Amino acid sequence: MQALLVLSILLGAVFGKEDFVGHQVLRISAAHEAHVQKVKELEDLEHLQLDFWRGPTQPGSPIDVRVPFLSLQAVKVFLEAHDISYETMIEDVQLLLDEEQEQMVAAQTRALPLSTDTFNYAAYHTLDEIYKFMDTLVAEHPDLVSKINIGKTFEGRDIFVLKFSTGVTDRPAIWIDTGIHSREWVTQASGVWFAKKITQDYGQDSTFTKILDTMDIFLEIVTNPDGFAFTHSKNRMWRKTRSTTPGSLCVGVDPNRNWDAGFGMAGASSNPCSDTYHGKSANSEVEVKSIVDFVTKHGKIKAFISIHSYSQLLLYPYGYKTEPAPDQAELDELSKAAVTALASLYGTKFKYGSIIKTIYQASGSTIDWTYSQGIKYSFTFELRDTGRYGFLLPASQIIPTAQETWLALLTIMEHTLNHPY
Amino acid sequence: MQPRRQPSPAPPPPPPPPALRPGAPLLALLLLLSLRGAAAVPEEPGQSQDAGPSRGLLQQAARAALHFFNFRAGSPSALRVLAAVQEGRAWVNPKEGCKVDLVFSTERYKAEESTFQEGEEGLGKCSARVFFKNQKPRPAINVTCTRLFEKKKQQQEDYLLYKQMKRLKAPLDGVSIPDSHGHIDPSLRPVWDLAFLGSSYVMWEKTTQSLHYYLAQLTGVKQWKTDDDEIDFDYTVLLHEFSTQEIIPCRIHLVWYPGKQLKVKYHCQELQTPEASGTEEGSAVAPTKLSNF
Repeated sequence: MQALLVLSILLGAVFGKEDFVGHQVLRISAAHEAHVQKVKELEDLEHLQLDFWRGPTQPGSPIDVRVPFLSLQAVKVFLEAHDISYETMIEDVQLLLDEEQEQMVAAQTRALPLSTDTFNYAAYHTLDEIYKFMDTLVAEHPDLVSKINIGKTFEGRDIFVLKFSTGVTDRPAIWIDTGIHSREWVTQASGVWFAKKITQDYGQDSTFTKILDTMDIFLEIVTNPDGFAFTHSKNRMWRKTRSTTPGSLCVGVDPNRNWDAGFGMAGASSNPCSDTYHGKSANSEVEVKSIVDFVTKHGKIKAFISIHSYSQLLLYPYGYKTEPAPDQAELDELSKAAVTALASLYGTKFKYGSIIKTIYQASGSTIDWTYSQGIKYSFTFELRDTGRYGFLLPASQIIPTAQETWLALLTIMEHTLNHPY
Repeated sequence: MQPRRQPSPAPPPPPPPPALRPGAPLLALLLLLSLRGAAAVPEEPGQSQDAGPSRGLLQQAARAALHFFNFRAGSPSALRVLAAVQEGRAWVNPKEGCKVDLVFSTERYKAEESTFQEGEEGLGKCSARVFFKNQKPRPAINVTCTRLFEKKKQQQEDYLLYKQMKRLKAPLDGVSIPDSHGHIDPSLRPVWDLAFLGSSYVMWEKTTQSLHYYLAQLTGVKQWKTDDDEIDFDYTVLLHEFSTQEIIPCRIHLVWYPGKQLKVKYHCQELQTPEASGTEEGSAVAPTKLSNF
């Protein structure tokens, strides 16, 4: 139906301004062959200017016809005289076209946030909406924010990182990523909030201003775009990438088991159908390799924070072995300070410790690799909640979650600033 | 497939673990076990846990005990969740499994959406003995909890829920609770609570020393019959197993009436083998496993 209406508009545009004010669309029920013939007679009367959307074919098949205003009375009288029943499907075609036009315009304006001030942070968004948000933010703060393309996903989507910088050359930097596991929606949503927060607090909050005056911040909001798109289109519970594995019908690799740190050891699965499948080799996933290349090339990242949900935990290396990390004591103390700051806002309790002791053994995980590269302040967060809603955290909790997590991030960033290495 | 040990219709409580039966052999066994290594772990909420596997084991035991408690209480308005483990001891016997004695606090499972509430008020307290048979599911559980709600009030609330459910028509097909955005329509809240109750049975049975579950989502309602006295509810859920991070579809069929013991049948999908067809959305098979029907 819509297609036909649009076609009519197009035809109207081509053949000169035609309007459809007062036109009606009738659905004629031709019960007998005789009726069908009668309607065919109507069809032949060119001066009526009837536009059959569904022509007369056989008894029982509905006949749909657009009737111009001036022909309405004649047609109806004809049908009634021959006892042919009909109903009015569309009372006024022009009215419908006008409504449709309005909706299309509204939809377009809804898709583009007019500004990051009107963006709805208390709702979950699609990949397109988040990418548009990023562009809008860059446009609003061109001196502070830029967008870097670090690669293309398995399915060909762009992978973007936002760079927040007040300097010219690459300074020591902080890296934050959200959404590496696509079903953990509160993390991407928090990433969006962090991006906005950074632009708001720089120049306003003295501690944060000091941080950004000395260091850069890299923020990858949608670290697994293919997975994220899949959670919107097909499976809300999808965790992994969407890469295919030769020899298996199962799809996807766990991007948090694909890093080159204890790769393939206990703490990951070799079954492609498993949600913790490590992949055929370390960095086999382009989503992971892109970050590896970026971090390696940059060379000056001093804190690396990867954000997940759920469980309410703050974790540091290692995940693949029980041996304590050399910086364990400092990381533990910093974690304690960070979760204390987090809890100060809404009382949300986080536990903390090494990955293997606190959550489970996990090999090939992100921060085990970043730590092995000399990035001392490597942390993984598991945000709200503790299982009541799990991955399906109500949107109303996005902002409180982001706000409290930001306090923990600030603690880590400030410590990094004050302990250069 | 798990063998059923109780074919009788009325579900008796699981047999107490051997260690509970009185007698001299018990004493000897206890002494032997304590020599093997009893780990007493006083636990304070919010502390840094460097207590190693013991803390994880206590949490496992608490969860299993709570699932079992919720199932046995059979009350969708009185569901509880774990607040914190307060104290516990674990005895590990490499041949048999492990026994855990513990005390933990609970709070009400009110699936409230609004700003996250950490309810310090209305904390219940439970003590439990949980026996995990070496990595096998269906831990044997003995659990008692202090009353969170006054008995009469609980009965009234259950009956209210029951009435609400009877009024619900069955156009519940295509429903997902919560939806992708974590929202549960208030009119469907009773359905969710009842689904959670039935899922508790399933989650209790499936919990082992290393596997634990959360109810992720109600994904479909195959049948919702209220014309008889009882609520006959046939539905599918997704369970989230934490250590493997797997999402497990289960089909659950329960029959409930306020005050009566809940009856549950279920079938969960197993993880696909590497060569199997890679459908992400497996349809849950019709229940073939009898539990306590």
